[in-house]
Amino acid sequence: MSASALATTAIETAPDEVLLGSAAPSLRPVGRSGVGIAPQPRRRPRRAFGVIAVVGALAIAGVQMGLSIVTTQGAFEVKDLTSQQRDANYQKQILEDEVAGLSSPQYLAANASALGLVAGGEPSYIRLSDGKTLGPTKGASDTSSVQALSRAAVSNALVAGVPLVTDPEASLDSGASLDKELLANTPTPPSITDGLPTPDTH
Amino acid sequence: MTTRATRSPRRRTVVALAVVLVVLVAFVVRLVDIQIVNASQHVADAFSKGMQKTSELEGARGSIVDTNGKPLATSMLRYNVAIDPMLAAKGMSLRDENGAVVKNDAGEAETVTWPEIAARIADVTGQDVDDVRAIVDDAYAKDPKNRYQVVKRLVSTAEFRKLADLQIPFLSFEPVASRSYPDGAVGGNIIGFVGSDGQPLEGVEKLQDSCLEPTSGSIKYQLGANGVTIPGTAVEKPAVDGGTLKLTIDSDLQWYMQQLIAEETQRYQANWGGILVMEVATGKIRALAETDTVDPNDPGASDSADRGSRLLRFSFEPGSTFKPVTAATAIEQAGVTPETTVTVPDRMVFDNGAVVNDSENHATQNLTLNGGLVTSSNVAMSQFGAMVDPQTRYDYLKKFGAGQQDGLGWSGEPERILNPADTWDNQTKYATTFGQAFTVTAVQVANAYQTFANGGVRMPASLVESCTKPDGHVVTPKLAKPERVIKEETAKEVSLMLENVFAQGTLADDVALPGYRMGGKTGTAQISDGHGGYKKNLYFTSLVGFAPAEDPKYVVLTVFDEPKKQRMSSANRSVFKKAMAQVLTHYRVMPSGSETPLLPVTG
Repeated sequence: MSASALATTAIETAPDEVLLGSAAPSLRPVGRSGVGIAPQPRRRPRRAFGVIAVVGALAIAGVQMGLSIVTTQGAFEVKDLTSQQRDANYQKQILEDEVAGLSSPQYLAANASALGLVAGGEPSYIRLSDGKTLGPTKGASDTSSVQALSRAAVSNALVAGVPLVTDPEASLDSGASLDKELLANTPTPPSITDGLPTPDTH
Repeated sequence: MTTRATRSPRRRTVVALAVVLVVLVAFVVRLVDIQIVNASQHVADAFSKGMQKTSELEGARGSIVDTNGKPLATSMLRYNVAIDPMLAAKGMSLRDENGAVVKNDAGEAETVTWPEIAARIADVTGQDVDDVRAIVDDAYAKDPKNRYQVVKRLVSTAEFRKLADLQIPFLSFEPVASRSYPDGAVGGNIIGFVGSDGQPLEGVEKLQDSCLEPTSGSIKYQLGANGVTIPGTAVEKPAVDGGTLKLTIDSDLQWYMQQLIAEETQRYQANWGGILVMEVATGKIRALAETDTVDPNDPGASDSADRGSRLLRFSFEPGSTFKPVTAATAIEQAGVTPETTVTVPDRMVFDNGAVVNDSENHATQNLTLNGGLVTSSNVAMSQFGAMVDPQTRYDYLKKFGAGQQDGLGWSGEPERILNPADTWDNQTKYATTFGQAFTVTAVQVANAYQTFANGGVRMPASLVESCTKPDGHVVTPKLAKPERVIKEETAKEVSLMLENVFAQGTLADDVALPGYRMGGKTGTAQISDGHGGYKKNLYFTSLVGFAPAEDPKYVVLTVFDEPKKQRMSSANRSVFKKAMAQVLTHYRVMPSGSETPLLPVTG
């Protein structure tokens, strides 16, 4: 590039002589033996080009540095957030461990049993169209079909020894601490031999 | 005109260009060499200098859920805690809240000695202080250069965080993929469990491992100062989690059946017992309960014999529960009807010399086919069965599953026997009419009744609903095609007779559920004593039935191995009634609103 630019300069300087050469803006034949070079003041390079080049280079370097700073900053932020996320994950795991097993059917049934609820026997249905009771028409007995607490047989290591919500003295392994007398004195529901009492509405 | 003067500058340009080109080519060659030819070498160099790291990314093992999507097995992390005994023996510097080293008046760093540290660790892990101290003291005494000793394996995340908060520089924590079973022993016989190394050992954990197993991935990255990943250097091959395995089991129903069978097995002093609930329309097993059942959270707490499913690995001579198969065969192949009668003494010597006894003494009577089932008469069923040639009866038994695989593909399936008809001896020709001389599994008995209840079409028994891959792709297991075993009319006639067994048999009052029509049959199977005979006075008892009989929805099978409080199938009445009541309640099956049409027992 520089060679051809300077060549142009040479042509401008000495249009009558077809001479090319970087260091010879104006050449005069000096005998047959060779080419003589006469020192001549250099032409001033155009300043604008230089300024543009330098500014451009600086700008590129600046932008690159800026980008680099931003991405590095981002990397630190990512690291920070990653560590936050890890902590949150630990927290999640701890909480999951804490509630594991609490939703298991045996734990729920034991809780229900500690409240005095019983697992029913045969189901009864009331047909809405005529109010007729399908299934047993007598009141259900107060004995549970299975003893979910006092004879809890389905183990769960996750809630072993965890006190019941409804009876903190008892757990799945320990059986009931329930006052049996209280249960015995709980009135049984009324008989529904003739179906449930239905209001006469018109 | 070309002179030296004109040639020289041109040559110089050419030379300059050439030099530039040579340099450029050299760079390109070197670049190719670094980036392509010797790339792996340089990457390895970077690794060896610790500038680049590769971490394995572990996928999570898939969950097992019940038919309603309730999780039965999930993946979680546990941590192994290890210590560097060489450093631990020296103690550590005391640090204040800000992490700065605390210095004493003399300007020396205060140290916390190992016994003090051990006490802190033991406080978190719940171990004995002396035990923790001994871990390091022993290791250090044995080899002062030992850098690794396990303190405790598989601690929970909570303990791990508390230990990490102690800021002990020589403690290290290694995460271990672990398994949690939220419902404990509910379905433990089916779910199985994994070992402490994560290897599946039992149940569907093992059988369906290809669904549940995760695929590991990896991540490569370069580290800058402070352990920060240099942006743009991470190359990740993501791990793929395992699929979600959905079972046909309903966990609430499963719990009830397990609780029930545990209570009843104890009550009747049986070796073990089981309950199986199968959906008539699909053959899907909704509950498969048995005693004793392992808690997969803690398999070590169970006897090794209790850690798998007994019910799926046990075959037996079904006895009377297969009499309806004889009835169906006679109806289709000998043209008999439920009203056809035979003369039935309580002991009969057949022409070929075979002797058949009924279980109870009774006067000679004219029993209908229905009566043969209602009174469960061996003599009557032998006569009805003898109306059909042995090969045809063999074919029917085979179609009903005798001696066949049950289609679940369970590991350790028991041997099932059904000898070819031409090898049947005189006694066997009759014994096969009342459920002896061949073996089936509990699933096959339930499947036979599912066939009667489903209009003669057997649906393949199944325990696995589907496997949902992480990309959402759902894979359903390949099952046998539904198969028409008997004609629809035959199935209806047999079902009606089975209803009459429940309505007119000796068990009627004990199993009746007001408002519901049910059909079914008892079985008191003799148990081989291992010496070619049968055990005396000990039986494998069963009671299988379906409800509601006018439009059957569920088959319930209950079994006891050698009940001793009541030795016959009467032991199964209360457990069957409770189990069926629970099934009908659980699935909101309405009462029938009609009565069983009674068929004649005698003619």
